Amino acid sequence: MVIMLFVMGVTISFAFNEPEEPLTTINQTANEKPPNPSEAFDKMMDVLTHKRCLNCHPSDNRPRQGEDSHIHNFAVQRGTDNHGLPALRCESCHQHENNNFSGVPGAPEWSLAPIEMAWQGLSRTEIARSMLDPTINGGRSLEETVKHLTEHELVLWAWEPGLDAEGTPREKPPVPKDEYIKAVKEWAAAGAPIPEE
Amino acid sequence: MTEQKKKKGVKRRKFLKYAGAGIGLMIGGVYLTRHSWRRTLLEMGESAILPYNGDLSPNVWFQITPENEIVLHSSKVEMGQGTFTGLAQLAAEELEVEVDKIKVVHAATATGNIDGMSTGGSLSIATLYQPVREMAATMREMVKGKAAEKLGVPVQELQVENGVVTGGGQSLTYGEIVKDVTEWEFPATPALKSTKNFRHIGKPVPRVDLYDKVVGKPMFGIDVDLPDMLHASVLRPELVDAKLKSCDTSAAENMPGVIKIVQEEDFVGVIAETHMQAEQARKSLKVEWTVNRKWNLEDVRAITQVGNGKATVIQKEGNAKSVLDDSKGKDGYLELTFNSPIGAHAQLEPNGSTALVKDGKATVWLSTQVPLVTLNEVSARLGMDKADVNIIPQYLGGGFGRRLHTPNAMQAAVLSKAVGRPVKSFFDRKQEFQNDTFRPPTHHVMRGKVDANGNIEAIEHSFCSGDVAFNSAIFPAAAKPIIGADIGAIRGGTIQYRTIPNIRTTSWHVDLPFATSWWRSLGLLANAFAIESFIDELALKAGQNPVDFRLAHIQDDEAGTRLKNVIKACAEKAGYTDQPVGNRAMGFAASVDAGSPCAQVVEVSIEDGEIKVHKATAVLDCGIAVNPDQVKAQVEGCICMGISASMFEKMDLKNNKLQPTIYGPYQMALMRNTPKEIDVALIEGADFAGPVGEPPLGPIGAAIGNAVRRLTGQRLTELPLQLA
Amino acid sequence: MKISFNINGQPASVEVDGNTPLLWIVRDVLNLKGTKFGCGKAACGACTLHVDGEAVRSCSYAVKFAEGKNITTLEGLSDGEKLHPVQQAWIEEIVPQCGYCQPGFMMATAALLEKNPNPTDEDIDNNIVNICRCGTYYRMRKAIHRAAEINAANS
Repeated sequence: MVIMLFVMGVTISFAFNEPEEPLTTINQTANEKPPNPSEAFDKMMDVLTHKRCLNCHPSDNRPRQGEDSHIHNFAVQRGTDNHGLPALRCESCHQHENNNFSGVPGAPEWSLAPIEMAWQGLSRTEIARSMLDPTINGGRSLEETVKHLTEHELVLWAWEPGLDAEGTPREKPPVPKDEYIKAVKEWAAAGAPIPEE
Repeated sequence: MTEQKKKKGVKRRKFLKYAGAGIGLMIGGVYLTRHSWRRTLLEMGESAILPYNGDLSPNVWFQITPENEIVLHSSKVEMGQGTFTGLAQLAAEELEVEVDKIKVVHAATATGNIDGMSTGGSLSIATLYQPVREMAATMREMVKGKAAEKLGVPVQELQVENGVVTGGGQSLTYGEIVKDVTEWEFPATPALKSTKNFRHIGKPVPRVDLYDKVVGKPMFGIDVDLPDMLHASVLRPELVDAKLKSCDTSAAENMPGVIKIVQEEDFVGVIAETHMQAEQARKSLKVEWTVNRKWNLEDVRAITQVGNGKATVIQKEGNAKSVLDDSKGKDGYLELTFNSPIGAHAQLEPNGSTALVKDGKATVWLSTQVPLVTLNEVSARLGMDKADVNIIPQYLGGGFGRRLHTPNAMQAAVLSKAVGRPVKSFFDRKQEFQNDTFRPPTHHVMRGKVDANGNIEAIEHSFCSGDVAFNSAIFPAAAKPIIGADIGAIRGGTIQYRTIPNIRTTSWHVDLPFATSWWRSLGLLANAFAIESFIDELALKAGQNPVDFRLAHIQDDEAGTRLKNVIKACAEKAGYTDQPVGNRAMGFAASVDAGSPCAQVVEVSIEDGEIKVHKATAVLDCGIAVNPDQVKAQVEGCICMGISASMFEKMDLKNNKLQPTIYGPYQMALMRNTPKEIDVALIEGADFAGPVGEPPLGPIGAAIGNAVRRLTGQRLTELPLQLA
Repeated sequence: MKISFNINGQPASVEVDGNTPLLWIVRDVLNLKGTKFGCGKAACGACTLHVDGEAVRSCSYAVKFAEGKNITTLEGLSDGEKLHPVQQAWIEEIVPQCGYCQPGFMMATAALLEKNPNPTDEDIDNNIVNICRCGTYYRMRKAIHRAAEINAANS
């Protein structure tokens, strides 16, 4: 009984999480076609420039929220540690997982990206350059950057963004999670080439 | 009404009964000669204070315990406005006790102390200022009479101090005097203390509910808990102009904790073990609505236009219409239109009730501004005698007019009856926003003509609004066609500059597809915004200082003199200047509501493209301020709420959905939007305690708009105020 | 599930659905009514309490996260004898009107002063973003400064 429920749960959540993925895409990428770093780059950037990522990579001290990326209600601020102000921490409202009663999203280490990692207003190539620059990316090597992009729970939250305050599911990035992870790795394996603008 | 057992054996007798017929009587008189009287009544209605409509027997209001505590059973509810404190001061004054000796509680309807009107209209202290003192003085004399018998000392030789009666070298507390008394003599109403002998009235006594509120005592409607209590959640319409078509409860019935789902003709209630279980089950009801027609905000705005609906001329001097028609396009003529949005109450405590219906009796605990309406609705719905129903009001987590509608009481009672256990039921925030009884949107056309000498020759205010008083339970439906204009919508709508020779004010009433009703200050917020913005614009046209310009158009009668005095005092206190200083400018506005004039000056700058209010100065004349500190608190509160309503708040309507349904997207003023300085002064220009809680909401919107005009040249004509 | 924590210095253990918002456990299971329900969306701040000294909006905090933590509600803000400086200041400035939002404001203020003993007006504006419909903000700001003074005098 428990196992059946579990299987059902997995099936449902799988179907729910990746409804728009056409089977042909999986077949194509799974087949012998050699990896194309430029395609991989575009796929990765389709995700990284999505509001689920950009809302927490603002170029000022104000988090954004919602599908329209408005300034976070109540003029919430970055604070000195990117986790908000002393009595108005991100954690005052955002916990380690989504709260679908309140519509408040959550994930471990919920916070803004450091101001050095401001992406808002940058082009795709500028974002890529900033990601690869150890002087502003927190001293990460390429390998560590890939790990962050493909394993960090806060990043992967984008594919499990939960329900908003109205009970409506939040929009997910336009590329399925597995494909995105694969694209990041392919791009990195090819030497993380940044295309000309 | 039931006989009072606990009132220390006081025999009930109706005395000190003030004109109870109130508005009904006035309307009756009007009906006979309706045309000539209607305008008079409406003009009066703006400033007249209808007398308290309820029992005014001391034994219904006061109870002295053997422990020498005086319990004041208040028929008026405490929603933050400070009425309990004011009543305690009034009573303490004549009872010769300290204010903290008086414990003020909400009168349950079963005690018989029922307010025939409501708690609202800024009228609680205004209407009870004299009656409560008279009852307290009578009570004191009654107790003294008994003390004279007990002590064997003539009553005129007795001294009363701090609740202790002394004479012939002996003394007794009130509690000791009354503990075994069963028969009372009612004396004639004694003479009241003169103003100069007041010890408590006029003093800034701390609120009587201050400590309990600071330590978080359970006191609000939502805090009521009963043994064996269940929780309920009631389905409410999510769409405007829609009816429930079908409701499939099968999924909800199997949700955890669900006890019962009750389907009535007009609502569906889910009863469960816990609040969250009831909420979750209610959300899993499969509901279909029949929508009558599609509604968007544009449709509402198209309806809310001067020229639509039913017009009533509520003020007429000279011949404004023809003067203005003739002046169109000529020098000195000005015409502007103004709009205000749909406003939500957004009080913090959601509406709800806890009910126990069992063994032929019903009791409901809730936050209500209308215990009598609640009582009538519950008893009618349950088919029970009113004597078997008891409504016990609780402290309100905000009122602002929202608690004049309490169908939640009837619903909780029906649900309790269905399970034979106590049931608590209240809205979630989305339901609050979707089912509010909103402040109606308004549209105003202002026309004016300034003559060659800079005097206003003619002025016309035409405005259109949805229901405020109409269609609410506290306004008699039969009066609607007789009065014509909605007496709530017209508040603050008439022109207070009475030396203008030609004045015409017309109220247009339209029906809207959703409920609109009383919202703190009623029509005043929008009407004063339109009129006072327009007057400032006329002053600019006349090339005059807006303060002098206003003063020049106010008559010299008592009302006019009081208005002039607050205007002068406020301008002086704020150091008002009509010229910008640095990056700031001042804005001036004044209005009169329910007889209380209020003037305000704000100091404004534009920062990052947004209007910022740095300082607000206000002068209010409410006559005698029973508690000057709490009067000031009301003025400060009105300024903050007025900034919120006139700078941020608006509801939208899209595809029949009223939205937003959450704070934040429904933007309201926060700490950051509060002026760093709020300077309030009071003038006691009358020898009665006049209305306080709403009049200061009048000037603030126009004052901000006028400051912006002088700073930027932009005349903002729409609430909420937004720079172009 | 069983969840154990300390609340206002006392151990508590509840057997509930772990996803239940802490607010309802505090109000309806532990019967501490000082923490208020305003919106259920972490938007108004009426339900603010402290979890391990941090201000948290309890309507959006699953009770399972409280396991092993120290929770303080308004009822536990004072030591039982003397009011907390924030409460004292609230009394001195006669802040509350309807009073419903005040517990959340006092809890947010207490958390602020713990970390910033002498906040400027700007610090207050930025940190205290709860909603008060009666418009007591002006007195609250005065009371927050006053509470900082009381704290300073006590230490």
